Amino acid sequence: MTTEDLGRDDASPVLEVEHLSVSYGTTQAVKDVGFEIRRGEIFGLLGPNGAGKTSTLGAIEGLTSFTSGSIRVGGLDVRKHGAQTRAMLGVQLQATSFQPQLTVIQIIELFAGLYGVDASPQALHEQLTVIGLAGEAKKAFKQLSGGQQQRLSLSIALLHDPLLLVLDEPTTGLDPQSRRHLWSRIEKRREDGGSILLTTHSMEEAQAVCNRVAIIDDGWVLATGEPQQLIERYKDDPLVRAAARGAVTLEDVFIGLTGGALRD
Amino acid sequence: MTALLRADFHVLRKNRRSLIMSILLPYLILVSTNSVQSEQSFGGALFEIGLALTYGVASTSIMGYPLALARDRENGVLQRLRVTPATTKEIMGSRLAVQMVANLVIALAVLSLGASIHHLHLSIVQYLLVLLASMVGGAMFLAIGQTLVALIKTADTVNSAARLVYIGLTLLGVFGASGALGHSWQVASSWSPVGTLMTLFASVLHVGAWNTHDSETLLAIVGYIAVFTGIGVTQFKWDAR
Repeated sequence: MTTEDLGRDDASPVLEVEHLSVSYGTTQAVKDVGFEIRRGEIFGLLGPNGAGKTSTLGAIEGLTSFTSGSIRVGGLDVRKHGAQTRAMLGVQLQATSFQPQLTVIQIIELFAGLYGVDASPQALHEQLTVIGLAGEAKKAFKQLSGGQQQRLSLSIALLHDPLLLVLDEPTTGLDPQSRRHLWSRIEKRREDGGSILLTTHSMEEAQAVCNRVAIIDDGWVLATGEPQQLIERYKDDPLVRAAARGAVTLEDVFIGLTGGALRD
Repeated sequence: MTALLRADFHVLRKNRRSLIMSILLPYLILVSTNSVQSEQSFGGALFEIGLALTYGVASTSIMGYPLALARDRENGVLQRLRVTPATTKEIMGSRLAVQMVANLVIALAVLSLGASIHHLHLSIVQYLLVLLASMVGGAMFLAIGQTLVALIKTADTVNSAARLVYIGLTLLGVFGASGALGHSWQVASSWSPVGTLMTLFASVLHVGAWNTHDSETLLAIVGYIAVFTGIGVTQFKWDAR
C-alpha cells in the first residue's frame, strides 16, 4: 500500500483528533480537544483570537509538538509517521509564505518536487491556467498581488491531491472577488470528494459552507455539530438570545458561547 | 532534496549582488595591500591572499547566511516547507549546502584575483588545497552564523549581532595578530576563528611546509565547527514567534 492509497477508504475518517493538549511552557493552549473529519466533509474550527485554533492545526500539520492525546491522518499516527502524514495533507498557512525571490513557476516546481508530482512544462502550464496565473509564471512571488499570492498558495496546497486540505483563515485580507473564488474552489473540492479542515472568523461563510463546525475557546471545544444543529440546540440559550438581532445565526451561537468581550 | 537545492540555488542566483559584495571586500584588501611596503608589513602576498579569503568567506557566512535564514523564518517560509514531506534535516541541509557552494565561488574568485594582482603562479595542488581550506573555513563561519540565528529570533537583531561578531572577529584577527595589543591578544588572535583560518590558508599556500602547529590549528577549526554546529542545530527555533 502506498502513501497515496492510505486513508482513501471512504468509510474511515481522514482525520482523528483525540484528547489533544498543547502547552507552551506553563500556558495550556489546547485542552483535551477531540474531533474527526470524514471524507467529502468541510469542517470548520471556529474560535476567537487566541482560542487555540492555530495550535490545533499546528499539531495536525506537525509544526507544534503536543503534550498529550493522539492525531491520526488517514489512519496513521502523526508522531510515528510524520513524513507520510504530511504527504497526505495540503496546507495553507495563515500567511502566504514562499521565498519572495522565487518566481511562480519555480515555486510550483519546488513543491511538485517535494510531493513527487509531475512537473513537466505541460503540467505546470495547466496548473497556472487553472489559477489564472499563466501570464505571471515568470513573476517573482513578491510581485504578485495579495489575491494572486493566495491563489498560488491554495494551488500549491492542492498540487498533490491531498487527502485533507487544511486552511488557516484562508479569506483574511481578500477582496470579495478573491473570497468568492476561494469558496468556489473549496466547494468544488468537496464535490470531488475532498475533505477540508479550515479556520475562519467569518461565521456567515462557515454557516454557508461547512458541513460541521467545532466552536473552540480558551483551548476547549465548547460545541461540535452541523451549523443548523448548533443553532437549534442553542437558540433558546439566554446568552445566545441576547446576542441575536432577529433570527438566531451561527454567529449569535458563537458570541453566546464564547462571550462578547474583545480578544487580543 | 533535489527540489530544495534547486530552489535554494535559484535564490542564491537572484541574490548575486550580495555575492559580489562578498568578493568586493577581499578585492579591496588585495588591492590595498598590493605594494612592496604593504607586502612587507602584511607578511607577504600569500598571507594577504589568505587574509582576503578569510574575510570573504566570513562575511557571507556570518552576515549573509544567518540574516537570510532569519528573514525566511520570520516570513514563515521555513514553516511552509516544514508542512511538506521534507524533513527539517533536508531543509537545513539544502540551505547549508548552497551556502557552501557560495563560499567556494567566493574563494575561487578571490584566489584568482589575488594570484593575478600579486603576479603569483599557483599550482593546481595549491588551488585545490586553498579551495579545500575555504570549505573548512566556510563551514566554521557557517556554524557561527547558524549559532547566531539559533540563539536570536528576530532578523533585525540577528543582523546587528552578526555585524558585531564580524567586526569583533575582524579586529581580533587583524590587530591581535599584529601584536599591537600585546602578547596575550596575539595568542588569542591566532587561536580565534579568523586567526586559525588565516594560519590554515598560509599553510596550504606554502605547500610542503605543514607542521605540528598547522595540525593543531586544523584541529581547533574542527573543534569550532563541532561546537557551533552543535549549538546552532540543537538550539534552532523554526518559528520566530
